[in-house]
Amino acid sequence: MLKYILKRLIYLIPTLILVAALVFLLIHMIPGDPAAVILGPDATAEDVASVREALGLDRPLYEQFVVWLGNLVQGDFGVSIHSKRPVIDSIGERFPVTLCLTTLALIFALIIALPSGVLAAVHHNTNKDYLFMIGTILGVSIPGFWLGLMALLVFSVQLGWFPSTGFVAMWEEFWEGLRYMILPAITLGLFMAAVVARMVRSSMLEVLRLEYVTHARAKGLSEWKVVTKHALKNAFAPTLTTIGIQYGMLLGGAVVTETVFSLPGLGKYLVVSIYMRDYPVVQGCILFIALVYVLINMIVDLLYGYFDPRVQYS
Amino acid sequence: MFLQRFLHNPIGMIGVAVIALNIFIAAFAPVLATYNPLTIDVAHQSEAPSDQHWFGTDEFGRDIYSRVIYGSRISLYISLLSVAVATLLGVAIGASSGYYGGWLDNIVMRIMDAVMSFPAILLAIGILAVLGPNLSNVVLALGLVYTPRFARIVRGSVLSLKEKEFVEASRAIGNGDAYIIFRHILPNCTAPLIVQATASLAYAILAESMLSFLGLGAPPPAPSWGNILSDARNFMMDNAMMTVFPGLAITLAVLGFNLVGDALRDVLDPRLK
Repeated sequence: MLKYILKRLIYLIPTLILVAALVFLLIHMIPGDPAAVILGPDATAEDVASVREALGLDRPLYEQFVVWLGNLVQGDFGVSIHSKRPVIDSIGERFPVTLCLTTLALIFALIIALPSGVLAAVHHNTNKDYLFMIGTILGVSIPGFWLGLMALLVFSVQLGWFPSTGFVAMWEEFWEGLRYMILPAITLGLFMAAVVARMVRSSMLEVLRLEYVTHARAKGLSEWKVVTKHALKNAFAPTLTTIGIQYGMLLGGAVVTETVFSLPGLGKYLVVSIYMRDYPVVQGCILFIALVYVLINMIVDLLYGYFDPRVQYS
Repeated sequence: MFLQRFLHNPIGMIGVAVIALNIFIAAFAPVLATYNPLTIDVAHQSEAPSDQHWFGTDEFGRDIYSRVIYGSRISLYISLLSVAVATLLGVAIGASSGYYGGWLDNIVMRIMDAVMSFPAILLAIGILAVLGPNLSNVVLALGLVYTPRFARIVRGSVLSLKEKEFVEASRAIGNGDAYIIFRHILPNCTAPLIVQATASLAYAILAESMLSFLGLGAPPPAPSWGNILSDARNFMMDNAMMTVFPGLAITLAVLGFNLVGDALRDVLDPRLK
C-alpha cells in the first residue's frame, strides 16, 4: 500500500509540473508588456523596468520557468505587487475559509445525495423516483450563485435568520461561525448534491440487479440491511470518483460563492487580485487551488480500493 | 432508429421546446423587447415591476425585461461558439493523438490531463484575468477549458477503432489517414460527442453567467444575465425583484440543454435508465 502511494505520488510529478507550466504561461499571455499592464498607464519607464526585473521578465522564458518552479518547490509563490507580502502567506490566511466552505458544502451534498439516491433506486420508476429526477435536474440547472443571492435576500435580509454582512471564523467561534457558512455552503453544495445523487441512484440500480443482492435477500436479511450493508458499499465506489471530480466544481464555485457572500476566502482574494491586476497573486491562487484539486483526486483514488477491493494496489 | 427513439422521449421533447423558446427569444429580441436595453432613464430608476416595466428597472432606469430578453443572445452566442471551439479542437487533438499514437499521443494527452487538473471555471477565470474581459475571450477561455473532454472521447474511440478490420481493410486498399479518420472513425464517435456537447452547452451557459457576474464576461453596458445579477447584487435591498428574473432565465436555458442531454443519454445508453 505504502509503495503504491509512493508510486502514485511519483506519477503525479509530471502532471504537477505541467499544471505549474500552464499557470506560469498564463502571465505570458498578457497582451503586450506584462509589467506595463500590471502598473497601468501612468507608470514611469523606471517603474516598469523595476517590475520587469522583480518578476524576472527580462530573462529568457525557460530560465524564468526554472527559477519560478524552483521557488515553488521551496514554498515561494512569489510576492504580491500590491501588498508586497509573500503570496503564500496570504493564501495560508484565506485558504482555511475556502476549505471550511467547500467541506461544509460537501457534507451538505452527501447528506442530501446518499439517502435520496438510494431511495430513488429502491423505488425505481415510481412517483418518488420521478420526483427525484425532477429535483436533480433542477439542481444541476439552477445557478448556485443566484440561489445564494436569493437566499441572502430571503433568509438574511427579510427574515434576519442569518447575518448578511461580516464574518466570524468557525475555528474561533464554532456556532456563530457556522451561521455565516450555512447559506453559502448549501447554495454551493446543491449542484454537487444533484450530480452525486444521480450517480448514487444509477450505481445502486446496477448493484441491486446483481446476484449477490438477491442472495442476501434470500438469506432473509431485512431490506434495510441488504441496501445499506451490501448494496451501498459497492455502489459507493463509482460515486466516490464522482465526488472527487465534483470537488473541483466546489473549489471553482467557491470563487463566486465567496464573492456573493463576501467571505474572506481564497476565491474572493483571487477575484479582488484580478481587479487590481496583481498577477503573482492570481497565479499563486490558481496554482494552489489546482494543487488541492489534484491531491484530493489522488486521495479519492486511494480510497477507491477500500470500497472496491478488486482494485489492486500494485 | 436513434432519432425516432429520441423523438418519442418526452423529457427530450420538453428540452427541445425550451431550447427552441430560448432561440426564438434571442432571434426576435428586438421585437419582444419593450425598450432599448441600453437606454438610461433617470426618471424611472430602481422601480418595481409595473405595467410599463414588466420586470422593473435597474439603477440606471434601464428596463430589466428588455435586458433579460437581450441577455439570451449573449448567453447563446457564448455557449454555442465555445462548445464549437472545444469540439473542433477536441476532435482534431483527440483524433490525431489517438491515431498516430507514440510520443505525440503521450505529450498531448498529458497536457490535456493538466488542463483537466484545474477546476474548469477557475482556469477560465485565469485566462480571462490576463486576456481581459470581452466576448471573444470568453469564447476562447471556455473553449480551451472544455477541449480535453472532447479530445478524450475521440481519442478513446480512435484507439478502439483503429485496429478494427474495416479500418485495416480501408488502409489495405490504399486509403489515406485523413480519409480513414473522417470516413470511418469519426462517424463512429458522433453519439458520445453529441451527448458531451449538449452537457457542455449547459455548463457553458452556467459558466458564462458566473464569469459575467464576476465582471470577467461581457463588459457592461451589454446586457448579459450574469452582469445584470452583478448589478442587482449592489441594489438588492432597494430592488429585490431585479435579482429574480435573470436567474430564472439562466435556469431555464440550462434546463433545456440538461433535459436534452439526459434524454440523449437514455436513448444512447438505455442501461443507465
